Amino acid sequence: MGLIMKVKANIERRELSRRDFIKTSAAVSLAALGPGTSGIFAAGSDKIRIGLIGCGSRGTDAAINCLEAAEGVELVAMADLFQDKLDSSLDKIKKKFPDKVKVTSETSFLGFDAYKKVIAQDLNIVLLTTPPGFRPAQFKAAVEGGRHVFMEKPGAVDPVGVRSLLASSEQAEKKGLSIVAGTQQRRQHQYQEVMKRVFDGQIGKIVGGQAYWHWGSSKWHWEQRKPDWSDMEWQIRCWPYFTWLSGDHIVEQHLHNMDIINWAIGTHPVQCLGVGGRQARTDPEFGNIYDHFAVEYEYPGGIRVLSMCSQIEGSTSQVAERVVGTKGVTYTTRALGYIEGQKPYKYQGETISGFVKEHADLIQSIREGKPINESRQVAESTMTLIIGRMSAYTGRALKWDWAMNASKLDLTPPKYEFGDLPVRPVAIPGNTKLI
Amino acid sequence: MKEKLIQKSRKFTRRDFIRTSSAVGAAALLSGTGRLFAAGSDKIRVGLIGCGGRGRYDTTNCLNSAQNVELVAMGDIFKERLEDCRTTLEKKLPDKIKVTDDMCFTGWDAYKKVLACDDVDMVILTEPPYFRPEHLRAALEAGKHVFMEKPVAVDPVGVRSVIESSKLADKKNLTIVAGTQSRRMAHLVESMKRIHNGDIGEIVAGQCVRIGGGMLTWRESTRVRQPGWSDTEWQLRRWLFLTWLSGDFIVEQHIHNLDVVNWALDAHPVQCFGLGGRQVRTGPEYGNIYDHFTVEYEYPNGARIEYMGSQIDGCSGRSDERIVGTKGSAYIDSGNFTIEGQKPFKYDGPSPSPVIKQHADQIAAIRQGKYLNEGKRIAESTMICIMGRMSAYTGRALKWDWAMNASKLDLSPAKHEFGDLPMRPVAIPGKTQLI
Repeated sequence: MGLIMKVKANIERRELSRRDFIKTSAAVSLAALGPGTSGIFAAGSDKIRIGLIGCGSRGTDAAINCLEAAEGVELVAMADLFQDKLDSSLDKIKKKFPDKVKVTSETSFLGFDAYKKVIAQDLNIVLLTTPPGFRPAQFKAAVEGGRHVFMEKPGAVDPVGVRSLLASSEQAEKKGLSIVAGTQQRRQHQYQEVMKRVFDGQIGKIVGGQAYWHWGSSKWHWEQRKPDWSDMEWQIRCWPYFTWLSGDHIVEQHLHNMDIINWAIGTHPVQCLGVGGRQARTDPEFGNIYDHFAVEYEYPGGIRVLSMCSQIEGSTSQVAERVVGTKGVTYTTRALGYIEGQKPYKYQGETISGFVKEHADLIQSIREGKPINESRQVAESTMTLIIGRMSAYTGRALKWDWAMNASKLDLTPPKYEFGDLPVRPVAIPGNTKLI
Repeated sequence: MKEKLIQKSRKFTRRDFIRTSSAVGAAALLSGTGRLFAAGSDKIRVGLIGCGGRGRYDTTNCLNSAQNVELVAMGDIFKERLEDCRTTLEKKLPDKIKVTDDMCFTGWDAYKKVLACDDVDMVILTEPPYFRPEHLRAALEAGKHVFMEKPVAVDPVGVRSVIESSKLADKKNLTIVAGTQSRRMAHLVESMKRIHNGDIGEIVAGQCVRIGGGMLTWRESTRVRQPGWSDTEWQLRRWLFLTWLSGDFIVEQHIHNLDVVNWALDAHPVQCFGLGGRQVRTGPEYGNIYDHFTVEYEYPNGARIEYMGSQIDGCSGRSDERIVGTKGSAYIDSGNFTIEGQKPFKYDGPSPSPVIKQHADQIAAIRQGKYLNEGKRIAESTMICIMGRMSAYTGRALKWDWAMNASKLDLSPAKHEFGDLPMRPVAIPGKTQLI
């Protein structure tokens, strides 16, 4: 989270806590009367007990965001692969909310199956903030365990993972669980206001669009490998740089932008053609991901959208979306939103980060017994970027339906344990097979 | 394909002969244009500068495009290339090749010697693009009409030179035709009429995609460097793969597609941002060009057009343009033109060979003393490709005005002679400087 976003998240927290407190108080009695959904808080209490799975910086911040989002929320369990990550995360959260952290050594878990142990605790919500490659299995376990879920995007790194997400999503629906995804732009006011106008036809019929995440930076969550790290430990500690863990930056980061395009158009693309490569960040210490991608997506009705993303130090940066209609064009970023055309509009209200609101919404849905389930939406957005990556990696145009139904791509490693794990070769279009 | 072209060219020649014959009389009456053919004759004598495959092809088409056109002089850096070309042409067009030994020139200044021939009315410039600006200027200064292959420069300094030379052609009433044959494809001429007529409304988006093979076996015999070749000789023989000679494939080849976009928009872009790399064709025998690019071009009305191109074997092939307007969209490829929308249309008329027509047009213009100067237009189309490449190479967004007026990029080697010439490193976005 950038500095500006942090400041904004703080403003948002203050506002929300105030507003939410009132709402929550009113909601509690209702919820108590409502029919019991599964995984609801302990009888006689409106306490929300949360568990954190994945104690990196995003997980730590997500836990803080969640604790701030409403009254009566407690962190009761934590899981990670690494003691140092868990400790520093716990420290940071405790400093912020000494009274809301009830994690003990008995409810702190390490290891590849630590997530199962958190899910088995007496709690309402789990926050899934491990590297995306772990998400489908952990989400499945959380839903099976009857937990409400906050999960970071992306939801998977390959089609097999996406199918798992969708299956779990249906389970969650049946069980009345609330699932919120970390596509926080959907909760930013400027996006909501612009989208309202798009759906209202104010830019006419959508005929095109662009989505960008040009970062101008290349060392995100990168760590120098230490001599005592096994392959597995190195890859997980440097997870953004390995496709099996992050999905590559097109999936891991650029998902935000294409999620907005999917939102605006109201569905996912039908086919795509991508190019990409690794031109500046080429050292093996940066794993096997690309540093740039460009994908042409075609949506139903012949709408074509260009997605471009890069992580290149010293390059021009731009993070934005643009939706082109017959009567106007939208332009949105994390700081602004406007429409040019026949009905111009500019959002001029306060901008929130969405990081707190997503938790507030989740908690409210649980307390009010009105489940929200964003897992299908995030699964589709995840798949949107996965097919873009697959196309760029292989050089093949491909269809959504094929990827969704027939692709057998499964990037999970042979086994989850600290030890040898050769880095898969960097993809070479025309040579890398479409699986 | 070739056979079809030949059939088409035959048809055209017959038809054209009649037109030409009637035009001759008229031309003879016109007051002197810059350079008319020898008094009392309508013979057009052609000099070929650049005796590679393209030179041979253009000469053949030129000589076949009208009656009474003869090749009288030839120039190339390499003697054996000239001889090969001469032999082939003599076999193919025995009556039209009037090249004597003393009208064959080789070496770095061969072009000057061709231009010094009084007998030459018109030259065909088909050397590697790097040489075009210098050769064009010299040709116009010598008072020759010019047919030149695209692209016409490899850097902004070269583009500015071509624009200046183009003004000189106007002053001297000389014709310039550029080998962007798409401009003479009947289905495209028809489509542009409709687009410019507003049949698809205001243009708001578009895509231009060309995904082709890796050209790995291009001039296979030069792939392994011969012991006697200097750096310069090797690079000249492999010119397609050296940016200073070809401009990279976005300039050298994909100018065709981007020129169509410029045509549709009837403008040049105001700015662009590109990505690219060298992911597959990485061996040193493939010089220092990239194998894929994506560039987003923004046009004066705010329309953003995406270009995506690659030369990578084994990828899904494509070559098409799509222009999206407020009232419909146009789909264009080398054989098709369709409009979907409020005024649907599908071109099913004849498709006479554009490569013959471009020469026929020029010869008719010369004979009739008519204005025909495509110099500025092709310089601008060359520039849009160059700026796309510059943006991708450097990772910087850039503006047309800056590139056109302020960029100092000049890829010329220190001197034109065979000798040492270290290959410039492959561009690294974020590191390669924008000059």
